[in-house]
Amino acid sequence: MSDLLPTADGPAIRAVLGELLRPHRALAAGAFALLAVATGVGLVTAPALGRIVDIVADGRPVDAITPVIVLLAVVAVAQGAATAAGLALTSRLGETVLARLRERFVERALHLPLAQVEKAGTGDLTARVTGDVSLIAEAVRRALPELVRSSLAIVLTLVALALLDWRFLLAALIALPVQLYTARWYVRRAVPLYAKQRVANGEQQQRLLDSIRAGATIRAFRLENEHNGRVARASRAVVDLTMRGVTLVLRFYMRLHIAEFAGLAAVLTAGFFLVRGGSASIGTATAAALYFSNLFAPMNTVLVLLDDAQAAAAGLARLVGVASLPVREPRPLAGPGAVAATGVTHAYVAGRPVLHGVDLTLEPGERVALVGATGAGKTTLARIVAGVHPPTGGTVGNGGAHLVTQEVHVFAGPLADDLRLARPDATDDELRTALDTVGALTWAQALPDGLATEVGAGGHRLTGAQSQQLALARLVLADPHVIVLDEATAEAGSTGARTLERSAAAATRDRTALIVAHRLTQAASADRVVVMESGHVVETGTHDELRAANGRYAALWAAWSGSR
Amino acid sequence: MDEAPTGARVLRGALRGQWRGLTLSTALCSVHQVGEALVPVLIGVAVDRAIGRGDGRALLVWLAVLGVVYLGLSWGFRIGAGAGERAGANAAHELRTAVVRRVLDPRGGAENGRLPGALTAIATEDARRVGAVHVALFAGFAALFGIAVGAVVLLRISVPLGLVVLLGAPPLLVLGRLLAKPLEKRSGAEQERVARASAVAVDLVGGLRVLKGIGAEAAAVERYRRTSQASLTATLRAARAEAGQTGTVLALTGLFIALVALVGGRLAASGAITLGELVTAVGLALLLLGPLSTLAWVNAELAQGRASAARIAAVLASPYAVPAGDHALPGRVAGRVRVAADGFDFEAAPGELLGVVAADPADAARLLRLLGRETDPGRGTVELDGDPLTGLHPADVRTAILVAPHDADLFAGGVAENVGGADPAAAMKAAGADEIAASAHVGEGGRTLSGGQRQRVALARALAADPPVLVLHEPTTAVDAVTEARVAEGVRALRQGRTTILVTTSPALLAVTDRVVLVQDGATSDAGTHADLAARHPGYRTAVLA
Repeated sequence: MSDLLPTADGPAIRAVLGELLRPHRALAAGAFALLAVATGVGLVTAPALGRIVDIVADGRPVDAITPVIVLLAVVAVAQGAATAAGLALTSRLGETVLARLRERFVERALHLPLAQVEKAGTGDLTARVTGDVSLIAEAVRRALPELVRSSLAIVLTLVALALLDWRFLLAALIALPVQLYTARWYVRRAVPLYAKQRVANGEQQQRLLDSIRAGATIRAFRLENEHNGRVARASRAVVDLTMRGVTLVLRFYMRLHIAEFAGLAAVLTAGFFLVRGGSASIGTATAAALYFSNLFAPMNTVLVLLDDAQAAAAGLARLVGVASLPVREPRPLAGPGAVAATGVTHAYVAGRPVLHGVDLTLEPGERVALVGATGAGKTTLARIVAGVHPPTGGTVGNGGAHLVTQEVHVFAGPLADDLRLARPDATDDELRTALDTVGALTWAQALPDGLATEVGAGGHRLTGAQSQQLALARLVLADPHVIVLDEATAEAGSTGARTLERSAAAATRDRTALIVAHRLTQAASADRVVVMESGHVVETGTHDELRAANGRYAALWAAWSGSR
Repeated sequence: MDEAPTGARVLRGALRGQWRGLTLSTALCSVHQVGEALVPVLIGVAVDRAIGRGDGRALLVWLAVLGVVYLGLSWGFRIGAGAGERAGANAAHELRTAVVRRVLDPRGGAENGRLPGALTAIATEDARRVGAVHVALFAGFAALFGIAVGAVVLLRISVPLGLVVLLGAPPLLVLGRLLAKPLEKRSGAEQERVARASAVAVDLVGGLRVLKGIGAEAAAVERYRRTSQASLTATLRAARAEAGQTGTVLALTGLFIALVALVGGRLAASGAITLGELVTAVGLALLLLGPLSTLAWVNAELAQGRASAARIAAVLASPYAVPAGDHALPGRVAGRVRVAADGFDFEAAPGELLGVVAADPADAARLLRLLGRETDPGRGTVELDGDPLTGLHPADVRTAILVAPHDADLFAGGVAENVGGADPAAAMKAAGADEIAASAHVGEGGRTLSGGQRQRVALARALAADPPVLVLHEPTTAVDAVTEARVAEGVRALRQGRTTILVTTSPALLAVTDRVVLVQDGATSDAGTHADLAARHPGYRTAVLA
């Protein structure tokens, strides 16, 4: 897995974030200002309470506290209103930027060259688009507003403490070194631990899904105990890591408690001396103690959010890594409809070629079947012709070939939407015609909601053969000059394969087609058959010519048709 | 578990299994809560006795007391919360393994009507939720204890002030919950939209090869942008509502504190309570909001935990597909298989290589389930060496008769590890899989291999298991014609002398069988050699050669 997709570094992340944030500068300033006002107003509470203490201590009439109470009520309402507005603006900012980022990510991801994605595996891309996007969304939704509010609360509270008396600030800061040390201590241990936890969780999930999905196989092969053991081990590993995480968090809190005590004791002591020296009232000392105890919550919040922020930053690096790739224009699809490959060699691993100087020419409109044993190089040749891999040696000219592989994918959503991916402006009639061409119209119209039926993940389940017909219908809609079909009928079983052969024949009519033939009946109906062996073309000719030649193809056909 | 498990029983069982940890955790977390409640009390006392009177000795004494309280609350939290979390994690682990054990039980039946993803979610998410009930319970008990202590202190300071706090705080929280109600609904809708956007992205990336194949990248990007924007609109609406709720709760809390200050200030001014007591009361009023909202959270966790326990119980209580047998498998299996059930009527002699052609794939599937004793026949009997399968434990049946499914799953690990058996190399060769490196890695679900490679490794595994009776279902659908002919010969040679049933319509495989049974319209209709049937039976030709 050395070919994972790129990850962005700090400057690249800042550049992309800056670019995304620039249009929203006013919004950002407004959100910050409102939250600052909210926090500032909230800070009036403690001295107001202290004022009540002073009024009582001075033995002034009871009614003297009424204006202070009114002030407290006004502060409460103002703080609530400013907080609501500030939070709304903050999430507007965060969510808008996030939406833009994920759209850009998907755009760049879908334009990656296929060879690069194949090397990295689609798993990497899928993990980024689910795990990392939701990680950042969570951070934007929860951590960002909390972090902004808590940081503002800390800074402004410390300012307020200093306004009461600078010596209170000094006393409060006694806690700071302990907290900073604790935060560093925690993040250093938490980040690798949580990374391990995520891996273990993913592994457990995969183990469970593997074992549960394969229930029938496990029972048939009597592997129940082995799989119960595997699941138990994966689960135990998660429990152990969870407990290590819990222990770490609890030790983290223990250190924070120490810091709290140290700071509180210092503030009370400062209050004691300042009151005795006459430079502060009892009310001021009370306000200072209240201020300080109000610091516990935001302090803990900021420290706890540190590792969320770290995780989000890592996720951001992976998203931006892909989102800052240049968009490559897809290869041009127009062309004369001919294919000419000359002297093509290819090696996935240097020094171990799988194709040795293959020449292959397809005239416009010609249908050629590739036949050969597994490992003969059929698929490699097909992919090179389709432009998925550049060949190691030789040249390939093609007319913008479209490739259908045995891997079928039905896109989630209405069936019509799936088809329109191939031609977004297609009318319903055009969709029906395409389905009819590949023999899929009957079952498509018989679906619960016809072409509007939700198919794919979470929707109506199509059979393997239906999914392949759908793939062929998309191909008809995309209307390319050259088609490469690789094992398009492989997984359907014998009965379905025959239907699919007819569909494939209809979809490739009047087009140049290279067909990797699985069933020899496909070869029999092609204009020309090319037989491959160990990376070489060993026979070429029509079905009848090759049968008459009594070579490899003739032997294969005899075995296949049961006529030996 | 003798009685059918219900949700309540599952929950109780899980809690009972962890009672030691739970008790310890409740006791120590209560210590923590009391400590938290004592901190504002001590601040008040320090203001009163030390700062107010300028008494240095008193300051030292009360700071020392404060230190002891901090020590106690910190220690109680560390040990108590640790024990509670451990109890929860252990309970989740026990349930998770129990669910998987039930799903993999040889008697089957747990998968009926449940998708693998749903079962996985039950084994992970629901098990975790039931585990979380443990955490909620100790936190809840501790919160109750903290509230009680706070209430006693407040009422001792002043009954009217105590009543203002104790009667004022719950309605405040209820109001907060009421405000949050519509929000929860919206947040549900929002999560659905967000999940949808994420699902669309995964779906498009999953179909990347297909998109590239038809040049549909731009159309796909446009589709994702629309979903993403719809999700953004929904998210912003929910975020605005949530911001409004946060602001309202903040304002209400502020007003509550103003009320406490009003009542407390008047009492202090009239001399009914001391200054320190006023400070304590205000501190406690703020502090009690914590445990009170903990109780609301505990309530929600319990409701979710009960629902999760019910889902787990439903899996554990799902009826078995087949009952256990009443006697053990005889020591040596000759391998005579007779199927005279549900329309099938044929016999495989010991050592025979028998082909079964089912014109309708559903008949083939039915036959395979009967042979592997995944279901028992409605009428008639399936026998091994003259012994009905219904009398044997399904696990024993499968030791004797291995039914290898057409779409068998491979497991993460090496190819050789997947194949297993006494002689994996011979099995790989017979299955035409010898070109796949035995050390190659099979990714999750076998996805690093091609479809054809996967199928041949699965076939090799079935051959390597070397059971007395082997039933293979369409083992070569993803294998090219050249290799298929090789595989047919390989299977024949390797299974020499042991009973093998090939359920297939592939002529290349049928050509090497001793005899073929034809199944049409749900019943055995004819039998003979492949050449014989191909020559004289038009239905057979349609099923096999067309």
